[in-house]
Formats: sequence, C-alpha cells, structure tokens
Amino acid sequence: MIFRPLLAALAVVALAGCAADPAPTEQLRLTRQALEQASAVGAVAEESAELKLAEDKFARAEADMADQSYKDARMQAEQAELDARLAEAQVLTRKSQEQLNVLNTRITRLRKQLQLGEAQ
Amino acid sequence: MSRLIRGVGAVLLAGAVLGGCATHPNSEQALQQAGGDFQKVKEDANVLRFAPKDVIRAGESLARADRLSTYWGSGADVEHYAYLSRRYSAIAREHTEQGLNAERGARLELERQRLQLALRESKLSSVQQQGKWLEEQITSLATQTDRGLVMTLGDVLFDTGDAELKNSANRTVLKIVQFLQLNPKRVVRIEGYADNTGGEQENLRLSRDRAQSVADVLVDLGIDEKRIQVEGYGDQYPVEANASERGRAQNRRVEIVFSDAKGQLGAAR
Repeated sequence: MIFRPLLAALAVVALAGCAADPAPTEQLRLTRQALEQASAVGAVAEESAELKLAEDKFARAEADMADQSYKDARMQAEQAELDARLAEAQVLTRKSQEQLNVLNTRITRLRKQLQLGEAQ
Repeated sequence: MSRLIRGVGAVLLAGAVLGGCATHPNSEQALQQAGGDFQKVKEDANVLRFAPKDVIRAGESLARADRLSTYWGSGADVEHYAYLSRRYSAIAREHTEQGLNAERGARLELERQRLQLALRESKLSSVQQQGKWLEEQITSLATQTDRGLVMTLGDVLFDTGDAELKNSANRTVLKIVQFLQLNPKRVVRIEGYADNTGGEQENLRLSRDRAQSVADVLVDLGIDEKRIQVEGYGDQYPVEANASERGRAQNRRVEIVFSDAKGQLGAAR
C-alpha cells in the first residue's frame, strides 16, 4: 500500500521527464539562426559572456540530439537562442551608444568653435 | 499502515501546495528573480513603448514557470522557463535602450545641424565684416572717378626708367589681393603710366611693364590672371606737370581700376 502513491509519483515524473519529446529540429534551426545573427552584428564569444553561453549550450543541444535526449536538447537550444539574442541586442545597444558619443563629441566641438567665434 | 499512507499523502500534497519549492529550492529562487525582473520591465513605460513583444514573452514564460512550479518534480522546468523569462526581460531592456538612444540620437542630430548652421553663419558674418572693413580700406585708398573706383600706386613706388615695384607697395598690394579674394566677382584693370622722360615708344613699354609687374605680384599671390587686364598708356594722362621732379614722380604710377561688385568694368581709356 505504501508504494502506490510513490509509484504514481514516479510515473508522473517519468511522464514529465521523457514523455516522448519530439526531436526539436525547428528549435535548433532557430538557435543556429540567432547565433548567426549575433555574429553578423559583431558579437564574439571572447567579449560576450552571453554569446559564450549560447555557443556552449548549442553544442550541448547538438550532443543531446545525437543522444536522442530531445527534451534536454530543446531546453539547451531554447536557452541558447535567447542567450544569443541578448548578446546581439547588447552589441546593438553598445553601437547606438557609440553613435551618441560621436554626436556628442561633434556637438562639443561645434560649441567650442562657436564660442571662439564670439570671442573674436 | 493507513496512517503512513496519509502521512506520505500529506507530504506530497504539501509539496504541491508549496509550489514545487519543497523539491527544488533553486527553482523557487529562480522564479522570484524572474518575477522581480518582469515586474521592473512591466512597470517601465519606456519598455512598454519600445519592447512590448519582449515583455509579453517574458510574462508568458514566467506564467509557465509559475504554473509548472505547482507540479511536483518539475524543478528543472521551472528553472528553465524562469531563465527564459529573465532573458526576455533583459532583451526588452536592451531593445528599450536602443530605442531611447535612437530618440536621443535624433535630438542630438538636430542640435548638431542647428549648431553647424549657426557656426556657418557666424563664419560668414565674420568674413562679411572683414570684407566690409577691407572695402573701407580700399575705398579710402582709392577714389571714385567716372572710370569707377581707382586706386593709385603712385608716388615713389617706381624709380625713373624702372618697372619694378618697390617693397613699400607690399601692404597696399596685399590689401588688394585680400579684397579681390573676398569679392570673387570683381575684376581689375591695371593701367601703367610714365613720366615724359625718354621717348614715346620707350614710355609705352615702360608703362606697360609697370602695370604688368603689379599684375604679376597679384597673380603670384593667388589672383586668377583672367580677372586682370593690363594696359600701358605711356606718358599720356599725366596727373601733374612733368616740369618738376616731384611732378614726374607723381606721373610714374600704376592705377588700379576696380569693377563693380558684379564684375562690370568701365571702358578702357
């Protein structure tokens, strides 16, 4: 009698754990695309911890695919996709900030020149 | 026996009620962090303006993590969806920052254009002021005649029988150059004159050489040759009697006739 609830619980875990997850090929494609996009805007794993995470998780997802651990593969790939998208977004934010800095430098220079002109 | 069953059942129930945290303390922490992040982006009007889709996805993932946390043994899934939710929140913040930077950039670009225009105007006005000042100088050195504005490089600027312009003319010549540079449409006719010492042919050549030497200096200083006409009038049109040395010195001269601002030059003599 004592084993029945435990067995039931185990069954639930088993169902949740390996209930025939389909192979997440579409998710892996999406993740690969996200990684490519991040690289395209100039993100590199040496500078971006997020991209490094993404690459590592994607490698693990591919290994999980080979092992037919499809649930693990999907989770790794899903996380890797968002890691890569975050890495991409961070690069774009930095670039937009750099553009602002360039504009600010130009404005400062213009102001200085205008003041010089007035002083003359 | 039946007490034991109830006991186990109670533990399981408690686990479910506590939202999975009994089995996975990490998942509870992950859920809280994701909830905190989501709260922050959800309350930020700018994030809602620039990254509504990211916020929705962060909310959906969080809801999923929350729902899973009520199931026993789903700790890893809870952590997974909490992780995705946090990533969406972080991406939302990045997209918002980009949007804000684009707006800031647009404002700064307008400011830059405004300043550039102001600077251009101030430079222009300073050039115009300089031009006005030079014009006054030229006018004070020149006289308005029926031939137009005429400046005389006269007096002791040439020796008898010599076409070379003396150094004392440099300041005046420089002013003429500046004036012509600031008034790019104006052209000049440089007229050479001689005293009556020497023969007529010789004086014609000498007067022309004098005018040419002034023209050469202007060209050397960067005035386009096409803007300069050169004439020699020999000993015609004296301004003083050639009887005295002083009178002759006055007649050994070069006159520079300026066109009007549009480049219209009076007819040659």
